[in-house]
Amino acid sequence: MRIVMLSISHRTASVDLRERIAIAGERLAAAIDGLRSGKPLAEAVVLSTCNRTELYIARPAQDASPHDELCQFLARFSNVSMKDIASVAVIREQEEAIAHLFRVATGLESMVLGEPQILGQVKQAYEKSQQMKAAGPVLHRVFQQAISVAKQVRHESGIGEGRVSIGSVAVDFASQIFERFDDKVMVAVGAGEMAKITLKHLQALKPAKLWLTNRTRQRAEDLAARMPSVSCGVRGFDELDNLLVEADIVLTSTGAQQPIITEARFKPLIRRRRSRPIFIVDIAVPRDVEPAVGNLSNVYLYNIDDLQRVVLKTHETRSAQVDQCELMVREAARSCIAAVQHRDVGHLIRALRERLHAYAKAERERTLKRLAGTPIDDLPEAFAAAMDEHDHRLVNKILHLPLSQLDPKDANGSLAFAAEALRQLFGLDEKAADADPLPAGEGVADDEGDAPAPDAPRADKSPLGREV
Amino acid sequence: MTDTLTTISLIVLTVLSLAAWFVALRRARRVAAGGDAAPGANLQSFLVGLCIALGGGVFVYRAFAVHQRWQPLEAHVDGLLLIGVLLAITVTYLVKRGRMKGLSLFALPFLALTFAWAVCASWWTFREFNQSELHSVWMTVHLTSVYGGMLFFLMAAIAGGMYLYVQRTLHRRHDPAATRPFASLEAIETLIVRTSALGFALLSLGLVTGLVIVTGGPTRLGPGWWYSPKVVLAGASWLVYAVVMNVRHTTHFRGARAAWLSIAGLVLLLATFGIATALPAIPASQGKIPNSKPQITNKSQKKNANQSKATASPQQGPLFGSIGLIGACLEVGIWNLELTCPEVPCGS
Repeated sequence: MRIVMLSISHRTASVDLRERIAIAGERLAAAIDGLRSGKPLAEAVVLSTCNRTELYIARPAQDASPHDELCQFLARFSNVSMKDIASVAVIREQEEAIAHLFRVATGLESMVLGEPQILGQVKQAYEKSQQMKAAGPVLHRVFQQAISVAKQVRHESGIGEGRVSIGSVAVDFASQIFERFDDKVMVAVGAGEMAKITLKHLQALKPAKLWLTNRTRQRAEDLAARMPSVSCGVRGFDELDNLLVEADIVLTSTGAQQPIITEARFKPLIRRRRSRPIFIVDIAVPRDVEPAVGNLSNVYLYNIDDLQRVVLKTHETRSAQVDQCELMVREAARSCIAAVQHRDVGHLIRALRERLHAYAKAERERTLKRLAGTPIDDLPEAFAAAMDEHDHRLVNKILHLPLSQLDPKDANGSLAFAAEALRQLFGLDEKAADADPLPAGEGVADDEGDAPAPDAPRADKSPLGREV
Repeated sequence: MTDTLTTISLIVLTVLSLAAWFVALRRARRVAAGGDAAPGANLQSFLVGLCIALGGGVFVYRAFAVHQRWQPLEAHVDGLLLIGVLLAITVTYLVKRGRMKGLSLFALPFLALTFAWAVCASWWTFREFNQSELHSVWMTVHLTSVYGGMLFFLMAAIAGGMYLYVQRTLHRRHDPAATRPFASLEAIETLIVRTSALGFALLSLGLVTGLVIVTGGPTRLGPGWWYSPKVVLAGASWLVYAVVMNVRHTTHFRGARAAWLSIAGLVLLLATFGIATALPAIPASQGKIPNSKPQITNKSQKKNANQSKATASPQQGPLFGSIGLIGACLEVGIWNLELTCPEVPCGS
């Protein structure tokens, strides 16, 4: 089988084009059907995420090269010009295609190196094809291997370790301070874009209550409306002191030019808080919280630089692991394609055996039919002649097709390749050929089995010009 | 009586605990460098498990083969062995619960120290408890509660140390991955409070039973017993833990302060024992040692008492002086609550 992959990703295509060729929802099934239409043996998986659209197909090796066909299909399916697709598409075959899939599943091809979501998306794509019975034995093996390799590489290299966003780092710090969050109060001061992004992570902790406060109350209310998963309320900005007393986690992101939480303001609140620990994330620039607040007892203050430092460290650590991951992926792809090819060869040998046995059976029946009317006295001579003819016809039948493929006019080297293959497959060397040449005058039987009489020399010659 | 097999086993236990600690250290360093904590985890569990099995075996062996009595706590070494085994079990349980993996990093050195102390108590400063005249039930309850209390206070202090380490790391704003193997501050504080509560309950029980024992006969600490250094300092230790337990929710005793207090409580227990063993129990009202000779009822006790006196002699040279000092440092903590012990300094 031939495995071919077409990929259009964030590395080659703009977000506009990626949006247009994205295949999601019900279109996914149509795409898989389209890739397999008219080709019952073909297998197909479509992986489509916000950063990439990739088509994986496996077809019998003798089929024509599907490169242009894939581009045309995607152009037609997405209603994008062929030229646009061809200019951004990356097409890989066999081991390269498998290695690419492994890299994708591991997160080596992701925009954020080593991010884990892609593995789930690869699984989903594979499962969708399985449901539609579009993933046959070849892609089944390849995708199963991809999932397993991705897990192994991530585990052994640690490329998925660490946090890559400010929000997730804040969640990590919060988890080091508090054991549970269902009894904690979270307060967000400010309702800007950064607050929205960071709160998206923090609300995953499911605090008992999330209070939002902003100088413009309406903006806080708008943000609260977008937080359906937690118990969320809006308080006036003048209640900030009370909120600081109630809060366990505080996120500040206002556009104030001066700190709004100063040491002088917070210190008296500690007694009212009964020295409960407080985790303050200050992602505003200029800062909303005076650094001296972080020195107070049971106050854990982190600003944007503290969080950013952790994110950068994660990126550095992950980048250092890329070479190791590449090696592991390469090795895994090599063994995977070997396994696929081994399976193909197994099928080939089985088919060859079946065909040869069919030849033998047909010839045997023909020979027996010829012998059936022979008088008993003539039987020994007739039997010998019939067996000679039987052997001759059988050998000719077996060799007819392979030898007819040896075209002496072939200029691209396939003749030499085929000759070498024959030499290796049948253990023929030059000396053996000289010592035991094929008898002259033996022709090749036609496919119908109407072999010439043994005594009638055939004028047929092999394409090599040599009588066989 | 001193038992060679016990001492050898305790040395092996000390080495095993140290080995487990080194494995834990290597794992912690690997995690700090961004690596995986998994390698070595099984080896560490195996070593601690071996400590539990061997320590438990030695404890049973001493009860049935050495003491040949139903009451296993016949000497200080038995109590230390019990503490060591229970500490290993407690740490294993907490580590297996998850998110407390770093606890072993802090607890295993104390496990090794406990077993090393037991080696001292088994070989150099061995002495059986003088309990011939006491009611065995009171004594059993007293010893069990005192040693159990000590175990929980030790756990509280270990958790306190871990709390301070995690807090320091968080204040330095390092990558939170470095502290992920440790529990959250909230969880550690909960552990401090719970272990302190259990220790406090057992210490209170130990004090009450100790009072019953000490006032149970005329040959005890005498009429001024209540301001004997041992009683006063034991009471002071109890008071510290009472503070830890009861003022935690007031403004100034949360978080790091509670952690420091739990450590200070243990240090005070150890210091109390050191002072109490260094000074004879002199009731202030009399200014002299009341009935300072221990009740010696058999040859074994006589031999041990002589051995203890000999060990305490300043003419023993620097080796015994050092051992005595280490022994005093190590044997601090339990004996201050051991109100029934004779007034002879125990081996130091």
